[in-house]
Formats: sequence, structure tokens, C-alpha cells
Amino acid sequence: MKKLKVLLVDDEIMIREGFKRLFDWEAHDCEVVGEAADGMEALAQIDSLRPDIVIMDINIPIMSGLKVIQLSRIKHPSIAYVIVSGYDDFSYCQQALRMKITDYILKPVNYEEFGNCIDNLKIALFEQKIAEEPEEHEERVITLITRYLQEHLAQDVSLSVLAEEFHLNAQYISQLFKNEIGVGFLAYLTSIRMEKAKKLLVSTSLSVAEVAEQSGYGDYRVFTKVFKKTEGITPSQYRRDFLDETSGRG
Amino acid sequence: MIRMEIALIFILAFVAFVYFSAEGRQSLLHRTFSILLISTLIHLVFDAASVYTVNHLDTVPRLLNDILHRFFIGTMVLCVYLFYQYIAILAQEETGKQRRMDLAAKIYLAIAELGVLLLPVHYAVTPEGNYSDGIHVSVCYISVAFYLFLCAGILIRNWKQLETKRKMAIGAALAVEFLVSMLQAGHPTWLISGMGLTLMTLAFYLTLENPDIFRAELTEQKMSMLYLKSQVNPHFLYNTLDTIRIQAQLNGDKKVADLLMRLADFFRLSVKVDRQMVALDDELELLEAYMDLMCYRYPGIRCEYDIDPNLGGAQVPNFILQPIVENSFLHGLKNKGYRGEVRISAQRAVENRNRMEIQVSDTGGGFAEGAKEKIDDLLLHYAKQAPKLEGSSIGILNVQKRVKLFCGQDCGLWYTENPGGGVTAHLLLPVMEEGKK
Repeated sequence: MKKLKVLLVDDEIMIREGFKRLFDWEAHDCEVVGEAADGMEALAQIDSLRPDIVIMDINIPIMSGLKVIQLSRIKHPSIAYVIVSGYDDFSYCQQALRMKITDYILKPVNYEEFGNCIDNLKIALFEQKIAEEPEEHEERVITLITRYLQEHLAQDVSLSVLAEEFHLNAQYISQLFKNEIGVGFLAYLTSIRMEKAKKLLVSTSLSVAEVAEQSGYGDYRVFTKVFKKTEGITPSQYRRDFLDETSGRG
Repeated sequence: MIRMEIALIFILAFVAFVYFSAEGRQSLLHRTFSILLISTLIHLVFDAASVYTVNHLDTVPRLLNDILHRFFIGTMVLCVYLFYQYIAILAQEETGKQRRMDLAAKIYLAIAELGVLLLPVHYAVTPEGNYSDGIHVSVCYISVAFYLFLCAGILIRNWKQLETKRKMAIGAALAVEFLVSMLQAGHPTWLISGMGLTLMTLAFYLTLENPDIFRAELTEQKMSMLYLKSQVNPHFLYNTLDTIRIQAQLNGDKKVADLLMRLADFFRLSVKVDRQMVALDDELELLEAYMDLMCYRYPGIRCEYDIDPNLGGAQVPNFILQPIVENSFLHGLKNKGYRGEVRISAQRAVENRNRMEIQVSDTGGGFAEGAKEKIDDLLLHYAKQAPKLEGSSIGILNVQKRVKLFCGQDCGLWYTENPGGGVTAHLLLPVMEEGKK
């Protein structure tokens, strides 16, 4: 898998330096190709560098991060964005989610946990690629496997279950994930389970325990722990924040 | 006569409308008043109906007349009983003394209602107008006398402890009802009993249950919170902290970076002043940040959590746990050279599933001689404390005030001594999820 190109956009130099030097890009098959400190510069850099991923602060001078995304989306629809937002402008974030931005993180950024976010992006890029591919008679194995996982994520799936289902070696499947998507099997499974959980949290009134079960977690305590680790907040906080923002901060 | 009754119904319906359209309140006292308001309205309707039928004895069937009269007297007895309940609860909240005559009042209510149901109704016909008299109506007079007597007892017994405003409200209401009952007894054709009840309800509404007064109390609380937290712009503070944190980590000092992260977390979480209520999860996150920092400063302190995860979404007043834990540090563990353990637990209350109890227990030096009594007194008579702007008890006093105001009078904070040394703070709170009030 080729390295993904990353552009950093933030008006504070310290935040950019932090991203550049405190996160292990190498280990995640990425490289930082450029930086921008305001909206205009960001637009120009996106045009000339053609990054795969843009890490974007919203509150930047001259042109807001959201505007930059809107404009560059037209020219470069396949770029993935990570919105970086302070808690005080979380409402922008909700706006961003409606714009189908791939992911967002909240400041202060914990660089050790930023890897989750990159994994999510890779998965999103992979899914986008599958969707764009013309339908062939013979579908690729990884496509079949990921579809199988999407359909069975509420069940107890593991590499050995997949091995049996697809008559392949477990080791081979594990390698397939790393080569095709760029993330490990477990990271992939956790990610799609969390996506499912988030969708259920904001679109249904199921209890947290029910959401956990439908997302493949028999024990909702484990679910809450994993959710908190990947999203930074608990499932009930996530639901509340979402409802708060959409109802205009009750 | 009938016109006065209809006017009274309109007045009370208007009061009920204003009262119920104001912000909902949780406490037993307010619930009792709500029931009282509704009961009085229903009573007035029967009152008006029976005033009409008793003056048309020849056109209205006897059975209908009797039924209306039984309802009229029955609801009247209920209303007077509710007045007693309301005053008793009010006195209990003010003084902390248990209600003593509750059982007697309830037994009497049952007997009186039975009498209303079974005793024969009799009507007196006079040139000035008709009215009901005899043994059936005497139930009503006896009930009023009985409950007024109980209320007067409460008032006299707690005269010193009750706030002047409340004393006046109760006294005025009792005097009005007494006067109206005497007039009604002397002039049976006046049919003014409904007026007495309406005036009593109005007296309580205007003095004790007025939504405006309640709102003013809320505003005052909010202002003092804002004042405490607005002395420096917190966004500036935690953004700067974050910059320093990244620099520290760039310099390779992970430990300092982690501490600054926690400090930034603490400030970020504590600026949510615009909310009176937050989820327990949010409150615990703030507390954890605070504890992590304190435990780093004083490595001899351990802290343990034992939180029922199902309670995470419960709404609690903002910023109530940190002042309590701070007290454990400053008054408990400090005396032991900052060595020991703080234990925080949150569980559903055993006796009432709609309540939870949060406990903050320390292994510190315990209360000094006489300190426990002082704290108990402070927390019991929280409403009458002069506002002070310094001293360590202002924190817990503020917690007590807000818990009582937002969660109801049966919730609150109290302290006990641990058998093995140290003290435990208990905080009883309602378990209510957002949107399901």
C-alpha cells in the first residue's frame, strides 16, 4: 500500500508541530507533505500537493476550515478530512458531520490516540474505493470479507470464523487487511462496530446496552470502555451532545 | 351566589394555568401544592353546581342533589386535609423535625370521607335561600376545625424556627379560613365556603409558590456561579495550557505533558457554567481530572472509584462533587500529612430506586471536637446562613443550596464519621435522565 499524503492546517504553529513530531506517521503509512496556517493557504496547498488526508482546524483566519472543505470538495472529491475542533466550537463540528466529513477530533489532541482516527480514515478511503469500482463478475476477496463483516458485526466474528467461512488461512486474511486497507483486522472490526454504534445512538432511542449488543458487544461495560477510548466520550455523552447541538443547546 | 362561584373558578383556573406553565419543580412540597390546586378547582365546580341545585329543589331530582352535595362536602374535607399536609411539609422542611400528626390526619380523613358518603343529607328551605344542614354538613365543620387546629399547632410549635414570610403566609391563610367558616356557620344561606378555600390557596400561591420568586432564586444562584468562574477567561487559560503541553511533549517531557493535559481537561470541563444540570459522567470526568492532579501533587494519596455505570446519564447539579472532595483533602487528609485514601462511590439508593447516593469517604483525621455539630447545623439550616464569601464551608454550603433548589428538599448533603477514622460525605440525588423529568 502506498503512503498517504497528509496536509496539516492550523493557525497555531505549536499544534502543527505537535501533529508533525508527536504522532508516528511512519508507523501508520503516512507522511506529512505540507502545512498551512490560514484558509487561503490551505486551498492553494490542496491544489498543488493533492493530499489524501487534510487535518483541518475550523477556526482559522481569512477563510474558515468549513469553507475550505466546501470549496475543495468540488475539485477534489476524494480527499478525506479530519476536523480538529475545540470544545467551544463543537457546534461547527455537527455542521461538519452533516457535510460528510470523514472524521473529527476534539482539542486538546491526544497524539497517542490519534492513530484511531487515521485508521478510520483508511477504512473510509477503502470503502469509497470499493463503491467507485465498476462491478466485476469476480469480486475481490477483501470486498467479500468486508461485506461479510458489515453484515455480521453483531455476532462473534474472528479471524478463525472468517477463515472457515471463506476457506482461507487466518494468517492470510490478516495480511490481506494490512495490504488492502492498511489497518489490522481488529482495528477494522472495532471501527465498523463503533460506526454502527454511533449511528444507532443518534438515530434510535435504544438503550446503551441494546446499542452495545447490536454492535457486537455482549457486555456493555466493555463497549463503554472501547467507545470512550476511541471517541473520547462515553456513549451516553455522545448521544446527549448530539441531541443538545441539534436542538440548539437546550 | 352562583356568579361569585364562577368568578372564583376563573381566578383559580388562571392561577393553576400560570403555576403549571412555569418551570416544573421536583419537591414534595410543590407536588402537594399542585394536588391542592387541582382539588380546590374540582371542589369549586361541585360547590357551584350544588349552589344551583339546592336552590332548585323542586326541579332537580333529589338523587342528583344528594350526589352533588356528597361530592361537594367530600372534596372540601380533602382540600382542608391537603392544606394541613402542605403546612406540615413546609414546617418539616424548615425545621427538619418529623411530621408527627400525619397518621392521625390520615385516619381522620378516611373516617370523615366515610361519613360524607353514608350520612343522610338534609336541606333547609328558607325565604332567603336554601342550604343543606344537619349531621352531613357538620362533618364539614368538624373537619375544618380539626385540621385548622392541627395547623395552628404546627405554627405555634415551630414559631421560632419558621421564616417570617412563611409564618405570615400560614397565619393569614388560617385566619381567613377560620373567619369564613365562622361567617358561614352564622349565616348558612351565604354559601361562602368556596371563597375561604380559594383565598387560602391564593395566599400560598402569592407568597410561597409564586413562579417569579422561584425564578429570582435561580437567577441569584446563577449569578454567583458566574462570578466565581469569570475572573479569568477560561478559554484563554486552557488554550494556553494546551500550547505549553505540546511544547513539553516536544521537549520529551511526557509526564509534564500528561499533567498539563489533565489541567486543561479540568478547566475545559469546569467552564460549562451555562448549564445548571450536567450528566453524572461529565461531573465524574471533572472530578477525575482534579483527583489525578491532586494525587500527583501528593503521591501518598490513593483514590478509588466505585460507580454504578448505569447512573452515568443521570442529571445532577453542575460542580457539586469537586467541592466535597476538596474538603476531604483540606480537612481530612491534610491532618494526616496527605497520606490516605479517598473513595468515591455512586449507587442507587436501596430504599428508593429513584434516588442515588454518592459517597465520598476519606481515611483522614476525622472531625475536630465540635466540628461535626457545626457542619450538621450548617447543612440543616442552609437556607438561613448569611452569605459569606470566604471560608472553607462556603463550598459545601453552596452545594447543599443548589441540590435543595434543583433536586428537591428530600435530597441533600450530610456527613457521618467512619468507624475506622475519617469521615464520609453522603449526597442523596434524584435519578433523572435528561428529557424524562
